[in-house]
Amino acid sequence: MQLSSVYLFEVGSQKAQWLSARQTAIAANVANANTPGYHAVDIQPFSAVLDSSPIELATTNPAHLSLPQSETGALREVEVDPAEQTLSGNTVNIEQQMINLEDVNRDYTMGSNIRRAFHQLLLSALK
Amino acid sequence: MQDSLQTALRIAASGLQAQSTRLRIVSQNIANAQSTGSMPGADPYSRQTVSFESEMDRTLGANVVNVKSIGVDSSPFKLEHDPGNPAADEGGMVKMPNVDVLTELADMREANRSYEANLQVAKQSADMLNTTISLMKDA
Repeated sequence: MQLSSVYLFEVGSQKAQWLSARQTAIAANVANANTPGYHAVDIQPFSAVLDSSPIELATTNPAHLSLPQSETGALREVEVDPAEQTLSGNTVNIEQQMINLEDVNRDYTMGSNIRRAFHQLLLSALK
Repeated sequence: MQDSLQTALRIAASGLQAQSTRLRIVSQNIANAQSTGSMPGADPYSRQTVSFESEMDRTLGANVVNVKSIGVDSSPFKLEHDPGNPAADEGGMVKMPNVDVLTELADMREANRSYEANLQVAKQSADMLNTTISLMKDA
């Protein structure tokens, strides 16, 4: 029981990280909404990030190289109906990006409110 | 590595900059839509064009947008009969700029729309940063 709320904080911060990475992807799409040949990108869904438990290589020697971490921000191209592609080869749908932006903002606010609520719960036990 | 939200802010800023450059060129074209040459038979103002490119910013680790080039539209000039004009040739024909105001207005609307979208991204990213900061308020 006690541990589960601690675990919640970890998932909460993972989710916040994932949402920030998604915000970056959306920002890149919107900035490049009029760039010829640009293809819209998104990051892999959060469930995929949660399911994959990245195995780290132990670095026992300073000469060891660590594998690049943070799979969170891995970008992938969004599949778009060819009919939606503009003549210049751009596949950014600005309305869809605005919807995604709103989604990210809502989830982020909710996540931070949940964390605040649990934090206050823990604090009320202390005070 | 930089914070993703700040990266998002920077990317949105690059978009704002690119779109305002585009708007500047549009206003230049509209302002010069009637600018003829000063000598008989001289070429009038040529319409300018903007093209964007996506560029990988190494320090940000993200794709920002840049103005690739400001080019000159090489489509032919319109000829108008106006013998009284100082730029008229022997036949009384004046070369008018190859600016189509309707095209420029359409371009302006698109630039405006993209600018607003970028602004929205910047606002929301700042909002999200503030949400995180406000977590510390009543802890």
